[in-house]
Parts: sequence; C-alpha cells; structure tokens
Amino acid sequence: MSELLEVKDIVAGYGDGPAILNGASLTVQPGKVHCIIGPNGAGKSTLLKAICGMLPVRSGNVRFKGESLAGLRPDQILQKGICFVPQERALFPKMTVRENLRMGGFSLKDQSDLERRVDEIEEQFPILKERRDQHAGTMSGGQQQTLAMARTMILRPDIVMLDEPSLGLAPKIVQQVFDIMKVMADTGITILIVEQNALLGLRNADWGLVLDLGRSLFEGPANDVLEDDRIQELYLGGKKVA
Amino acid sequence: MADIIQIVVLGLALGGVYALMGSGLSLVFGVMRIVNLAHPSLIMGGAYVAYWGFRLYGVDPLIALPVAAIILAATGVLLYKLIFEREAKSAKYSEMTVLLTFAIAMIVEGGLATAFTNTQRVTSPGYATDAFFIGSVFIPKGQLYAGMVSLALIAALALFLKYSRFGYAIRATTQNREAAELMGVNVNMVGLVSFAIGIGLAGAAGALVSFVFSFFPSKHWEWVAVLMSLVVLGGMGSILGTVVAAYVLSVLAAFVGYFFGATWSVLTFYLALFVVLLVRPQGLFGEKPEMA
Ligand SMILES: Nc1ncnc2c1ncn2[C@@H]1O[C@H](COP(=O)(O)OP(=O)(O)OP(=O)(O)O)[C@@H](O)[C@H]1O
Ligand SMILES: [Mg+2]
Repeated sequence: MSELLEVKDIVAGYGDGPAILNGASLTVQPGKVHCIIGPNGAGKSTLLKAICGMLPVRSGNVRFKGESLAGLRPDQILQKGICFVPQERALFPKMTVRENLRMGGFSLKDQSDLERRVDEIEEQFPILKERRDQHAGTMSGGQQQTLAMARTMILRPDIVMLDEPSLGLAPKIVQQVFDIMKVMADTGITILIVEQNALLGLRNADWGLVLDLGRSLFEGPANDVLEDDRIQELYLGGKKVA
Repeated sequence: MADIIQIVVLGLALGGVYALMGSGLSLVFGVMRIVNLAHPSLIMGGAYVAYWGFRLYGVDPLIALPVAAIILAATGVLLYKLIFEREAKSAKYSEMTVLLTFAIAMIVEGGLATAFTNTQRVTSPGYATDAFFIGSVFIPKGQLYAGMVSLALIAALALFLKYSRFGYAIRATTQNREAAELMGVNVNMVGLVSFAIGIGLAGAAGALVSFVFSFFPSKHWEWVAVLMSLVVLGGMGSILGTVVAAYVLSVLAAFVGYFFGATWSVLTFYLALFVVLLVRPQGLFGEKPEMA
C-alpha cells in the first residue's frame, strides 16, 4: 500500500528551544483513521504542528503524496490538502457561524464556489444551519467543535488532523465528535487524531501510533496497539481490554 | 430647546471627526497589537498636507484629503517595513511598540516643528467660517462637512471589513491570529495592509481636522489622550466600540462645554476614561479578559 503521508525521523522544537520531537515517525494510509496516543508532554500536538508547517522541521522529512513538505508555509501546506484543527479549535469568536465557515474556504482558489460549499456543509450539519447567524464564541463546546471539524470539509482536504477534539466535552458529546469524525472519514478524508483517552481513540481508529518523549514507540493496526502488552501497561492502566 | 439641538448637532459633527481619528488607531491595535502613540502625530502630518495644499495652491482640503491619505498610507508602509515587521518577531513586542511609537511621535513632531515652526495654523476654505441656520439652530459648515465625510469614510471601512475577502482576513487576524494563519491567511500581509489603511485614515482625518481645529506640531499630545480614551472605552481593538465612544463622548463633551465652559469639555474624555477603567476595564464593547 502506498502512503499518503510519511513522517520520518523528524526533529522539531519551539524557537531556539530544545528539540521536542526527537525522531518521530508515522505512516498515514489514505482513507484511514489514525490515532496518536501518548502521555502528557509526549509531543503529540507538536507533531501535528510540525506536519502542518507551524513549526519548522529541523531534520528528518515529511512527504505528502511523495513530495517533500520541507520549508513550506502553513498556507502552502493547507493548499496541498492538509488541514489542522488545534486543541483550541481555531474559531473566530466574534464572527457568525456562517462567517466562520466562509473563513474555512479562505484559501480556495475559486471563491465563486464558496457559498455553495458553505450551503452544503450547512445541509450536512443542521445545527450549523440553525445557528448560522450566531457568534461562534457564544456556542457550547460541542457545537464549537462541530463547527471546527465541519469547517475543514469546505476545502475537501485529503487529510484532517484533529488535536484532542473531545477535550473538555461531556461523554455524550464526545460520542458526537467521533460520529462527525466517522462522517468525515466516510467522505474519503484521511484522519489523524490525537486522543487523551487511548482506549476510546484506538477503538475508533484503524491505525495507532504511540508517542513518548518525542519518539515513536510503536505503530500498527489500532487493534494490535490495543492488545500490545507494553501499551497495556503504560497507557491503558494494565487492564486487559477485549 | 434650540440650544439642546445645537449642542447635539455640534457634538455629533465633532464626534464623527474623533471617530475617524480613532478608527485607524483601533484597526492597527486590533490587528497588530500596536498601541500606536504616533497615530495623532501622523494625523498632524495629514493636517499639514491639507494646510499647505490650500495655502500654496488653493486646493480645497476636501480635495486634498485623498492625497493626504495616500501620502500617509505610504508612510505607514514604510514604517511597517522598516520597523514593525521585524519587531513583530521579538518576544517583548508589545512593550517595545509603546516605546517605538512614542519615539516616532517625537520625531514627527520635531520634523514638523523644524519645517513649519510652531505657529498655530488653520486651513480656511470659505465654508470653514460659514454656517447654516435652521430656525435658530446654528451649524458651522466646516464641522458639518467634516462630520459627514468622516461618517462616509467610517461606513466605507465598515463595509470593507464586513464584506470583502480581505476584510474577512483582517477581522479573522484580529480575533485569532493563529487561527487565521491556519485558514491560509497571510497574516504578515494583513498586518501591512491594515497598518497602511490605519495610517491612511490618520491622513484623511488630518485633512478634516485642519479646518476644524487650529493646530501646531505639539498639539498631537492633546489628541493622544483623547484618542486613547476612545480606544480604551470602545474596548481595545473594537472599531465599532471606538466609533460609538467617540460619538457619545463628543456629545457629552459638548454639553459639558456649554454648561461649564470649554476647559471642562476636554476633561470629559479623561473623566469618562477614569470611570470606565474603574467600572468596566474591558471597555464598552470589549471582552472580559480570559481567566485561564
Ligand atoms: N509553544 C511552546 N513553546 C515552547 N514549548 C512548548 C510549546 N508548546 C509545547 N511545548 C513543550 O513541548 C513539549 C510537548 O508538548 P506537546 O503539547 O506537544 O505535548 P502533548 O503530547 O500534546 O501533550 P498534551 O497531552 O498535554 O497535549 C512539552 O514539554 C511542552 O512544554
Ligand atoms: Mg497536546
């Protein structure tokens, strides 16, 4: 199988600071859901930021569709088809829901198509249609996350990276977030998700990656990762889960 | 009754001019987090462009307005490229910009004083000393024209921000810089253009001010205080807030001036600033600071 995205031994950090990622690797297959797990401070968020160009990669390489992304700006990587939803969701609190969706298509070359695409997303996510004129900052956490995720679909990207989309949401809402992720995956979008709850994340994924201290510890089919003894002990509390 | 109407009308006309003076300042603060203490000195620059245009060539200041705007916008581009673009990478950016813009204000003031002396000036097209009478209400034409042109420019700015693609980019950058970048906005370009527009508006305001107030190079310090109070009152970076604050306070100041004398009129702005900072530090339209 050919990889859509290949991250190989990358080293990256903030400013002149120490390397946070110290040889992180990951293979991303088209159309699959990939879950990254690891303890706090492992560098999960840093990995996503490095992929989308917000942090320069100091060594190693990131190849997307066989092409190196080295030295590209975030807007150029976005153009290539990689979207990133950071933990803080990156919404514009004083713009309406619809304006936020329009911002999602800011980088579209053909702006004449924008309104139609926004309409499509509104049809697909009725809550966004209902709230279209409401300021994004006044919505509930779950609704904001829905907006942030749905907004990426305006660009019809190849890959969407989600950093802890379930953070701070009630359990019932968390399920909704994963449902939306499924919807996105069903339209052919490849997903890269960071999830604090390893069990939940891996159960909803096809592929798993364990990151610790800026290195990839273990990578494989989500089920294998779930079953792996090392992982069981380290991150899943040592209890066998069937 | 006629007195009251007259005070309100004069207050509104002046409010429009202050609103224009403040909106450029607010735009620049919103996008770039620069507290531009040099903004009023650049307004002064615009005033001199209009003044000399009229003195030397008899150009109506309303015609000189776009010229002043363009000259000042170009100055803005220069300042941004030479100073702020680089400075934006520094960790102490916000503190630095206060000192930097203070220095720029001093340099502009010094330059203007050297070139044009400290003589008090005022541009005097015919309408500046003319007035309309509606019944017994007396409305100076100069203030009325300045107020209406200001209103038109502010409306144009608002429409641009609300509906144009670049306006979306500016608003997005103001609200969440990192998110704007993630949407593919070139935030450095947004900074440059916003700065140029903001300083260009200072130039336009200067052309209007030149026939509404008499001015001399160091007078910008007086405006610094008034404009800062407007921007803080409006909620730092909210253009709408700045505009509303300008209108409300100008009308209030006109009443204070009428009842207590002109000296007290200016104090209205500072007093309001004082009260708002005590009662509602985030300003009229500002967000509560994050508690996190
Ligand atoms: N903006 C930053 N500047 C400097 N260091 C940072 C920055 N953001 C994160 N770090 C450091 O990088 C390391 C990894 O952080 P990162 O956010 O990638 O971890 P994470 O795996 O996402 O953790 P969490 O589960 O808490 O989200 C941490 O030691 C953190 O202190
Ligand atoms: Mg993180």
